[in-house]
Order: sequence, then C-alpha cells, then structure tokens
Amino acid sequence: MRLIDAFVKGLSSLWLCVTLLVLLALLTWLGTLEQVHTGLFEVQKKYFESIFFIHHAGPVPIPLPGATLVMGVLFVNIILGGIVRLRKRVATLGVLTTHLGIAFLLVAGFIKAYHAEEGHLTLYEGQRSNVFESYHNWEIAVLEKLPDGQLREVVAPELTFTDAEEGARVVLTSKDLPFSLEVTRYLSNSRVLPKGPMFEAPLPVIDGFFLERQEKAKENEQNVAGAYVAVLDPQGTGRNEAILWGAATQPWTVEVGGKTFGVELRRSQYLLPFTLRMDDFIKEDHPRMTMAKSFSSDVTVFEGSTSRATKIEMNEPLRSQGLVLYQSSWGPSNARPGDRLFSTLSVVRNPADQYPLWACIVIAVGLLGHFLLKLFRHIRSEARGIA
Amino acid sequence: MNRLIRACCLLLVLAWAAPLSAQHDHSEPGHDHASHAGPSRTVPWTKEIVELAESLPVQDGGRVKPLHTFAGFTLLRMNGKRSVKTPTGELLSPTEWLLDLLFFPDLANTYAMFRVDDIAAIREIGGPTEGKQKRDRWSYSELHKHTGKLFDLANTYSQIDEKARDSVQTQVVALAHNVDEYIRVSRKTAFAQSLLPVGAGDGLTKIFGGREQVRFSEVIDHVDELRALQGDLDKDPARAAEQGPLTELLQRTVQIAEGSEAVAMFPPTVDAKAQPAWYSPSDLLMSAFAGDGRHSEHVAMLGFLEKAMDARGDMGEFHKSLAGFAGEAKALARARGEYEKIGLELVYYKSKLLDYSHYGFVLGFLLVAFLWMWPQSKWLYRVTALSAGFSVAAIIAVIVMRCMIRERPPVSTLYETLLFVTGVGTLAALVMEAINRRKLALSAAVVLGTLGIFLANRYEELDKRDTMPELVAVLDTNFWLATHVTSITIGYSAGMLAALLANVYLVSRLFGIRKSDPTHLKSLSRMTYGALAFGLIFSVVGTILGGIWANDSWGRFWGWDPKENGALLICLSQIVILHLRMGGYLRDFGIAMATAFGGTVIAFSWFGVNLLGVGLHSYGFTSGIHTALWSYYIGQWGLMAICGVHFMIERAKQEAQSGATHAQQPAQAPHSTDGRTA
Repeated sequence: MRLIDAFVKGLSSLWLCVTLLVLLALLTWLGTLEQVHTGLFEVQKKYFESIFFIHHAGPVPIPLPGATLVMGVLFVNIILGGIVRLRKRVATLGVLTTHLGIAFLLVAGFIKAYHAEEGHLTLYEGQRSNVFESYHNWEIAVLEKLPDGQLREVVAPELTFTDAEEGARVVLTSKDLPFSLEVTRYLSNSRVLPKGPMFEAPLPVIDGFFLERQEKAKENEQNVAGAYVAVLDPQGTGRNEAILWGAATQPWTVEVGGKTFGVELRRSQYLLPFTLRMDDFIKEDHPRMTMAKSFSSDVTVFEGSTSRATKIEMNEPLRSQGLVLYQSSWGPSNARPGDRLFSTLSVVRNPADQYPLWACIVIAVGLLGHFLLKLFRHIRSEARGIA
Repeated sequence: MNRLIRACCLLLVLAWAAPLSAQHDHSEPGHDHASHAGPSRTVPWTKEIVELAESLPVQDGGRVKPLHTFAGFTLLRMNGKRSVKTPTGELLSPTEWLLDLLFFPDLANTYAMFRVDDIAAIREIGGPTEGKQKRDRWSYSELHKHTGKLFDLANTYSQIDEKARDSVQTQVVALAHNVDEYIRVSRKTAFAQSLLPVGAGDGLTKIFGGREQVRFSEVIDHVDELRALQGDLDKDPARAAEQGPLTELLQRTVQIAEGSEAVAMFPPTVDAKAQPAWYSPSDLLMSAFAGDGRHSEHVAMLGFLEKAMDARGDMGEFHKSLAGFAGEAKALARARGEYEKIGLELVYYKSKLLDYSHYGFVLGFLLVAFLWMWPQSKWLYRVTALSAGFSVAAIIAVIVMRCMIRERPPVSTLYETLLFVTGVGTLAALVMEAINRRKLALSAAVVLGTLGIFLANRYEELDKRDTMPELVAVLDTNFWLATHVTSITIGYSAGMLAALLANVYLVSRLFGIRKSDPTHLKSLSRMTYGALAFGLIFSVVGTILGGIWANDSWGRFWGWDPKENGALLICLSQIVILHLRMGGYLRDFGIAMATAFGGTVIAFSWFGVNLLGVGLHSYGFTSGIHTALWSYYIGQWGLMAICGVHFMIERAKQEAQSGATHAQQPAQAPHSTDGRTA
C-alpha cells in the first residue's frame, strides 16, 4: 500500500509536472530545428508521435522520451496532482478549471492521433467522387470484377506489410481471395527502372524492370512506394511475381483459377458518406498582383436522393456527417485562362473536431478567474500599504 | 494572371498593328523622349501642387493608396530614406521627387539617390567610383551607361540562392531592382511627352482633321474610328498605301504606352467588384483596342496629364492641369468607394505620430535617468509620466488609425506586431505604475517604448515595402486576426515586459541599485510575476485559438509547425516558471533569471522561427533580423551568466558570514536575503 501511495505521490508531484513540461519544451525545440533538415512528417513521427527515440546531437546519440509518452504521463500527472489531489478552495478554483481544460485538450489530442482519418479529394471541374485518399498511407488492393459489373476490392493496409521493408517475407491472405499474396520487399520511396546490359540491378529484375530505392523526400507526400509481390496459388505450386509501384497508372493483372484479378499499390482510400461534384474552382487575385486573394470551390453534395450546392473556401470548410472538407490546393499551376482547373480538398474525419474550442473556453475562464483573483488581492494589499 | 492577360492584350494589339520592330528595353528616362524634352524646373514645387499630388489616389500592391505613400516607399527602397537632396542642395519630399521624375526626368536623373552599401558593386558594373565612399549614393545619370552590365550581372546573381550570395552580389541584385523600378516609374508619364506622327492618307486625315501630329489621348479618343479605318483598309486593296501610316501611328502609340503599367492611376468607370483593377495608360490603350470601349473620363484624364506636361515650366498652369486630373481621378475613385481612406492615410503619414511617440519615449528615457538620481522629485515624476503617457496615447492612435485605414484588426503583419507589442506593453506598464507608483514600471515603459519603436522603424527601413500590404488568402479573415493574432501578440507583449522587468531586477541586483530599499527588488519581482501571469493567459488562449483557426483552415488543430511550436514554447516556459514559483523552487532571483530567458524564447517564436524558412508560417521579411536576434540572445544570456556568477559569489559570501556569525551565536537562525515572493 505504501508503495502504491508513493507511486501515486510521485506521479502527481509538482516536480514530475515541471520535468515533463521541460521535456516537452525540449522536444518541441529540437523538433522545430530538425524540420530544417528533415521533413515535417518524419519529425512528427520521430519526436512527437513516438514513445522513445534517439536524438543525435552531432555524433552523440541521446535517448529521449517521445512527446506521446511525455504527454501521456503529463495527462496522468494533471489528473492526479492538478485535479484529484488539488486542495479544493475558492483560491484554487481557477487552477482546477484550467487543469480540467488542459486535460480535456490532451484527450482531444489523443482522440485525434488515434481515431482521425485524413486525406484529400482532388477533382477537376465537372468531376465527381465519393472516395478520398490518404496523403501518407499506402495499401495494396486486389480488384475483382464481379459478374454484375461491380468491382470488388480486398484491401491490405500498409501496416500489414511494412515488415517487408526490413526484408521480412509477408504473406497476405483473405477468405475472399482464392490465392495469397506474398510481399517480399517494400520500399517507402522508389522508382522503376529498366535493367540495362551494362549494370547490375540492386534488386530482382522482373520482366526487364526493377525497383530502385530512393532517399526519403522531405515532404512525405512526394514519396512513391514500391513493392515486390508474388501471387501464390492455393496449392502452393504456382508463383507469379510482379513489381507494384505507387505511381503506376494501371493495376497489375493476374489470372488465378480462371478469374482475372487486378493488384495495385495505391494511397489508402476512404469512402465518403456522400458524393461530391466539383462545379467550379475560383482563384481570385488581388488587383494587378499575382497574389491570391481567395480560393474557393463551388461543389454539389449528393446525399441519397437529395443534392445541395455549397461553397468551400479558405477558412470556411464544409462540415457534413462527421467529415470536414477544406480548400487545400489547386492546379495545374501552369494553367492558362480558360483551362480546366482542379481543386484539392483536404478531408478530415476527427471525432474530437470541436473539443479544442471547448477546452480553450474552459482554460481561458480558469486562468482569468485565477489571476483576476490574485490581482484583486494584490491591489487591495497595495491600497492598504499606501493607506 | 492580370499581367498575363495584359500581355496577351498587348500581343493582340501588336499583331493587329502589324509586325513591329520596336521593342521595349531599359531605355533612359527622359532621353527616349528627348525630342520633346521640356524646360528644367527652376523654382520649387508650390505647396498647392505638392498637396494636390500627395492626395492623388493610385492602385499599387493590390490596394488604393495616396501617391504620397507610393512615393515614400519607392524612395525608401532606392534611397534608404524618405527624402532626397538635389545637387543644388534642395531637400525634396517623396512626392516632390516623384513629380520631378515624372515631369522633369532629366533633372531627376542627376539626383544621387541610388544607395549602394558596397562600392565594390559599382566597380563590378564598371560604374564611376571616384570621390565616392564605400557606402554612398549614385544618380541615374552616373549609372545609365552601365545598366546593361548591371542587368546582366543581376540576372546571373539572381540564379544564386539568396542566402548564398555575397555582399557584392546582393548589392548588384538590389541595385538592378531599384534601377529597373526607377525606369518603369519614370515611364508612367512618357506618353504625355510624345507627339505621334499622323502620316498621309484620307482616312487618317479625316479622323484627325489633317493634323500632322497628335497626342496619345487623341488616339484613344478616336480608337473606334481607327478600328473602322483598319477594317476599311483590309477590304479595299486600292487603299494599301494608307496601311503604312496607320501601322506606324499604332506602333508608336503602343511604344510610348509600353512600360507605363508600373502604377495604376486611372480608376475604372464601373463598380469596384465588377472591375477591381485600375488602369495604367498602357491598360487604357489595350482596353480600347480590345474593343472594351473608351471612356470620356479617361480621355480627359490623359489630356490633363498631357497639358500638365506641356505646362511644366509654369507652376500656375501646371497646377490647373493637375487639378483637372485629380478631380476626375478622385470623382471616379469616390464613386467606387475607394477614396474614403486616402485622407486618413495622408494624415497617418504626414502627422508623423509614430515619430512623436518615439521622441516622447526617448525624452521619458532621459527623464527617468534623472528621476532615479532625484527620486523624491514629484515634478520630475509627473513630467516623465506625462511624456510616457503622451507617447502611449500616440502609439495607440497610430494603431487605431492603421485599423481604420486597413479595416483590419491591429495585427496582420510582422511590422504591426512590433507596434502592437510596444503599444500594449507600454500601456500595461503604465497601468502597473498607476497601481504601485514606484517608478519601476514607468522606467520599463519608456525603455520598452524606445526600443519597440526603434525596432519598428528599423524593420520598415530594412523591408522597404508598404507596411499596409494586402494579405494572402488564408489571412483574409478579420475574425481570426482579431482573436488569435491579437491574443498571441498581447502574450508576446506581456512576456517581453516581464522579461524587461526581470532584467531590471537582475541589473539592480548586480549593481546593488537601491540596496537600502528592501521593497525595491520585491516590487520588481511582483511586477514580473504580474506581467508573466497576464502574458500566460493571452499566450495560452491565443495558442489554442490558433489551433482552432488551423483546424478551420487546414483541417488540423496542431501540426507541429515551427510557429505553432514557438507559441507552445512560450506557454510551456511561462507555465514552468509559475509552477516552480508556486512550489517554492524558484525565488525572486530564479524567477528573474527564468523570465529573462523567457524573453529569448518569445524572440525565437516571434522572429526566430521565421528565419528557419520552413513551415506554413514562413512569412514576413527576415533578412537583417538574424544579426539583431542573435545580438539579443547573446546579450541576454551573457547578462544572465554574469548575474548567475555574481549571485553565487554573493551567496557564498553570505554563507561565510552566516557561518562566522553562527560560530559566535549558535542559537541565531540562518538568514537569507532571497526571500520567497508572496
């Protein structure tokens, strides 16, 4: 019991709180500077979404806790030390409220980190779609055309085959498929090259082509994944090998048991609960300048048998059925007047979308209450002093 | 896009006017129209002419502003200051200089107003260096023979990354930009100097009444007839001989208008929403030839400028013509709702309120020095407070005027953060002074005010761009500018005030200032705490509001972007200090040290992260800030190190004394001068 008490005391201590805040500040600072050399995505993964990591200060490796661990412990510390064990008095009411707000903000962060889906929907004017795709994640999809003309997809998310990046052999199976798919190699950034007679290919050559590993780009969106895969027939006797590449325009087709399947490596795709049509994209410049004044997309949302026209513009996203769609980008950048344009909408499904706003209100009330009380007391004491 | 459209129109006109051999180059201002060079200005511009010209509306940088503002920033870019001295010793205001450049270009070309910080750049282009200092000014006349090499070199050096350029390369590129802008601005009225030849042919004779030469405005006035004539000539091969003179007239018209698009001074006759972009003479020509019609108001305005050009030796006549132009321009701008803010902006710049505010703070700074020598002097205290109060009122007036002119909340650019931080910080310090009247906050106010406005002025001088620019799309939201940006900037302001007070504490402690007064350090510590607490509220709320804005704009509350991280660092540093204070781990000296360090954290977030050149918040002008920022870091950390060492020595001495006393009087309790704050 004493041990538990000491543990709880330690977890709720002010020293631990300060240590965690200093650690978080250190991670934030290091992560900020690191962005100059490494892209934001890699920094985020290494410093802010990790439990532990090694920071290299020049040649010196320094093990550090990741921000996820720090914020997790900080959450427990706030709950125990800043809420449960805090003396409940009028003087601490503001502090208590502030701590509640911060804890709620951290909850919002955790929900976002583990339950949000993010991607984009890029449509040319006149195009429509009910699918958005991830900026960062990849998936292998096996496509089968059903007799009624519909397309059935069996999808393996990136997490199921990333071990192949380290050289492990990964076999993907599904009850919906008459074969297994073996991933022998996975490259997070690659390009396809033809094998020439004058050099040795670093990786296996299939049909005269091989994958070449590329340095990871600073901006993760620019990475193009590639994989060596093999379709294994149910008896384990046949083996059909191929290269899948993220920028390929057509899926690889393979015949198994008299049926034709398409296999492709693509950015993860998510279904929208509605269909969206891009009616018009408008970029307005400031007069006599090339600087944009506003970007907006006129869209029509089709939900069931109903449809409604709406506008998505900077700072004015579309919120519908738990999804939020933002004006993100446009192109082609070299378009001439009158050319057909495309608009890219960022799509986010975040169950904690509005939590930060509520947390902000709670924290503001708490801080204002606490410090106004202090100020009032100070002014009173000064007045007494002067009198 | 607009430039592209204009270029397409120009090509259309050129194609219509037949193949041209003429091409625009960086021809010398004044000299390309030397055939019609007017008299040189022998008397100063009259007050009436200058005031009239200053109030002319122009569209530049996406907004309508007074010509005074345009001239001021153009001259600042080229000359490094808002005035120019002529060879005869006459000191010209920006508008007077611009009038000279537009109407007396030969004279303006003799003004040494291209500031070059390294004479090696002039050597590099083969320019004259005799009698010049390392940092000096050159006139266009001195440079014009070397502009070819200047532009060639600038083109080469522009390929080098800005950060990798050496001093000479940087100066060459900057000088090329300035010379190019000078030439383009000077061409604005080139059309008004020229007479266009009307060749032989029945058609042209009929249109222009048999005159041999016409003005630019007349060509535009008769554009429909000229188009009809072209149609007739196309249909009638017998009149082929008339094609040549018509083509020549059109070519010459295009030629003299070309390059005049630098500034737009002709408001469209339609609603501002229907046609936001104003016209330059070149645009008017394109628009007329493109069949968009011509407007009598514009023809009249062109005519007034031509008359002004003709009358430039006679100030009375010149004023009359300029007034005619101004009357038309203002009427059109007013009808579009674009003239309302011109007067206020003129008052803003001409009243020089910011300068007066600065003078007040500097005076306050000097008075504070005396005040500390004669602390009992009530008279001195009142005068100092009055001076600081006036300055705070003036800077607040500056901020309010900017809000009214821009129809924006107080902060939307990096420059405005400097004004706002100074305004809020000094106001907060005066409020503190009103509460405890110990002269400490008053001292902090005048120091902060002096430094803040000095930095704002330096920023403007280095950036050399309009400080009221149009905003990029994502910033075009008054709600978030008013909430997030204002809150976070108040946070900066309070944090910097706290850091300043902490430094006063450290210096007081280091030099033993007012050692006999036990309340001195205690008061400073309390004020530091107050400013820190005030800053924390706004930093935290501002940071979270920023996240909410990001959630609305980009779909994520937090993206670990450098600017977001900087804001988080401010919050964390302030929270850590307050928690350590609450737990008794930091006492007065420790709080002062930590808060002073917090000032460098704020500086990192405020300007430092922008220097990294990554992230979504990489905005604002940054070159030149690097040195200032590192000077502050090193100065602050150096002072902290000295104070730290001093504190340790002081404590060791006290402990030794205490030990000695203890040995004599074992029953006496240990004593510390570093008491914990209440």
